[in-house]
Amino acid sequence: MRTTQAGRAARLAVGAAAAVALLAGCSTSSGADESAARTDVSYALPANATPNWIVPLGIAGKLATHNSAIIRTLWEPLVAYDGSEGEVGRVADADLADEITFSDDGRTVTITLDDRTWSDGEPVTSADVKFWFDVVRASTDVWASYSAGRMPDNVTDVATPDDRTVELTFDKVYNPEWLQASQLTLVVPMPAHAWAKTADDEEADPALAETEEGARAIFDYLVGEGEDLATYADNPLWQTINGPYALTGFTDSGQVELTRNETYDGDDAASIETVNLLPYTSSEAEVNAVRSGAVDYGYIPTTGLDAPEQYENLGYRVEPWAGWSITYLPYNFNHPELGPVYRQLYVRQALQHLVDQEQISEVIWKGAALPGYGPVPQNPESDFLSDEQKDNPYPFDPEAATTLLTDHGWTPGDDGVLECTDPGTGDGQCGEGVEKGQRLAITILSQSGSAETDNMFAEIKSTMEQAGVGVTIESAPLNTVLSSIAPCEADQPECDWELPFFGTAGSWYFGGYPSGERVFGTGAASNFGSYSDETFDELMHDSTESTDPSAMQEYSAFGAENLPVMWLPNPVYQVSVIKEGLEGTTQDPLASFHPQRWSWAG
Amino acid sequence: MRAGLRRFAANRLAVAGAVVLALLVLFAVLGPLVYPTDQVTTDLASANLPPGADGHPLGTDALGYDNLGRLMVAGRVSLLVGVLAGALATVVGTVWGAVAGYVGGVVDAVMMRVVDAGIAIPAIFLLLVLSTIVRPTVGMMIVVLGLVSWLVPARLIRAEALSVRTRDYVVAARAMGATHRRTVFAHVIPNTVGTVVVNATFQVADAILLVAYISFLGMGVQPPTTDWGAMLNDGISFIYQGAWWLILPPGLAIVLVVCALNFVGDGLRDVVDVRGRAA
Repeated sequence: MRTTQAGRAARLAVGAAAAVALLAGCSTSSGADESAARTDVSYALPANATPNWIVPLGIAGKLATHNSAIIRTLWEPLVAYDGSEGEVGRVADADLADEITFSDDGRTVTITLDDRTWSDGEPVTSADVKFWFDVVRASTDVWASYSAGRMPDNVTDVATPDDRTVELTFDKVYNPEWLQASQLTLVVPMPAHAWAKTADDEEADPALAETEEGARAIFDYLVGEGEDLATYADNPLWQTINGPYALTGFTDSGQVELTRNETYDGDDAASIETVNLLPYTSSEAEVNAVRSGAVDYGYIPTTGLDAPEQYENLGYRVEPWAGWSITYLPYNFNHPELGPVYRQLYVRQALQHLVDQEQISEVIWKGAALPGYGPVPQNPESDFLSDEQKDNPYPFDPEAATTLLTDHGWTPGDDGVLECTDPGTGDGQCGEGVEKGQRLAITILSQSGSAETDNMFAEIKSTMEQAGVGVTIESAPLNTVLSSIAPCEADQPECDWELPFFGTAGSWYFGGYPSGERVFGTGAASNFGSYSDETFDELMHDSTESTDPSAMQEYSAFGAENLPVMWLPNPVYQVSVIKEGLEGTTQDPLASFHPQRWSWAG
Repeated sequence: MRAGLRRFAANRLAVAGAVVLALLVLFAVLGPLVYPTDQVTTDLASANLPPGADGHPLGTDALGYDNLGRLMVAGRVSLLVGVLAGALATVVGTVWGAVAGYVGGVVDAVMMRVVDAGIAIPAIFLLLVLSTIVRPTVGMMIVVLGLVSWLVPARLIRAEALSVRTRDYVVAARAMGATHRRTVFAHVIPNTVGTVVVNATFQVADAILLVAYISFLGMGVQPPTTDWGAMLNDGISFIYQGAWWLILPPGLAIVLVVCALNFVGDGLRDVVDVRGRAA
């Protein structure tokens, strides 16, 4: 607005840039002819979601799937589960375990390690596994994958009879399938000989981790180093790796360069020399890059499914990437004003009745999202799924929602937004802790960058406002959303968030076993809204200790009916566009990408 | 007055601009009365219809809003924010520039350095930062756009005021005991009105563009409120599906209103510019 000349110049520049982009798109060559000579791949990261963590010790706000995927290319886990081979299961080539043997009494597991070395030539040993346990055990208050009673609490002893054998003793008998798929996969052996220190200029001393104070100091040091994103590519700590790739570039804007680890001695070696992970501020910007040929493996909006040939003609194949996931809005049950409101089941039932999942999935997501009514992934169907969840206990029904609210002491105010006019705990009253005059006006903090997500919340806002529920929608980049929603207490100033959405590509991806103790368990680090229900906790425990499928079904039914979160349609991870000639791209339902399996045809 | 109108009418582009502007204002203000549509409640059953389908002359968008009706209500927001933000910028800039130019000396130097510092910070940057902190309402956008846009008029009016303050009628007013305040508001500002009016048209045009920029970047007003920039942003996902009715109408509206305001501004400059005029 400085001068009209400047404005005209800007408009001309935009026009010129558009023309150049158009020409670039037209002139892009495609097909497999050129692919044989290529040694690099450009992969588009989710819109407005930049990597911000590479330390194999997750903390709150850093568990985004692209962070985990990058970490897995640098440090292999003890046990790897993924779906890169068509179905979800253990991928022994991608982990450090050789044999995993459960004892007859089910209390002990013996793991022999592959004969492997770190990038500095030191062997990967059982001490590196124990080092992980020591460090995490001392830091369960900040380790983001923690759930009370689970890893590492459930491991009473970590024995290392020799350099290549680890024996884990559990506090009781668990479902071995759950143990292997959901617990052992959390363990990422770390180089004790390089990381067991608390300052840059210290010599590493593995004995330091044997005391709780020392282990905690190491955790704090590693996390502190991890916060310094600018040093990711050259910090010596992150050069000691055992994965198929090394991180050789990392910019503040989120651009990551992975280069093949020439010292890698495992079975999952990379074929592609360089992988560039590219950040975009919006899906539209990413699509423009796809159309110009700057991206080899990217994504398009779901509207692109109407006419896939427009991308196929540019040399891409279009493949929706479905995930083994659930999508939801957590309620902040400790919000100082609305926490007591969200704690009322009838309020959650009313709000759930106002989400038209079928229409949103079909019209807004163009079928690239499927309705989800509970805590177990519904696609594909499994034995874990209960009939209650499958049948949707709270179908779209605005009248039922209005009735539920008005029958519990809520009356429309002057602006049409419902207010509690009959506080109290009796029948027909608002419920415990809800004060007279409390307005039912909610705020959704949504991740930005996706037209489908924006439209979904515009639709939900419209429906809810017709029923007297005031809705404000705020949006922010994914990392901002994730970093502002840590579990909190009502008296903490940062506890002012209400309903955060981080599920444009699915909110939570499960390992091979879809138990929910890390998301819904009382006190779990990823239980952002601090949901707590004794029965649900017991069902989660049962689901992890019993091999009877009905245990998971009971958990599924309870979660569908008691609404620990607001269930939303579960979108595909993305609608991928992959350059013809790029092979090995089987899309992992666990939403991880595995660039070491990619190769160019020819 | 009549001579001024004659000079304005002689500029055909200015006349065309005024006509287009009047039509767009009528379209936005009176259109919804003639063609009422529900622009609050979504209707997914009617989403993504092409022009002409089910009685929607310009089709519907991804949420089932009638596109022609949405163009009207979006125009109200774009024009309202543009006009009021432009007016606010003009008022603040005029007073600031007039005071600086009239007083001169250290006060002038300090006031103009404030302007220079403000101009050094791109308005779009400030607005985007603000948008990440709060989701703007229409009222907030008017105030914020006005407050980041007063710098250019302040410079222009200050230059005019430097000249006006030495004129005989200003000196005479001061000699007759007029206060500084009265001198500025009764003599300096009224004699810069030509520059003010011409610049105001450009301010409005630029404010409308800024609103469009912000909304296009997804940081505009809350749905279901919309403006032409937000409509463009909503339609951009469909650009490769050939859904021209979601992109072309709001884009055309923005181009038309900005061009019209610029042409009108040029016409007004002809009216107030004494250079080249017969003695």
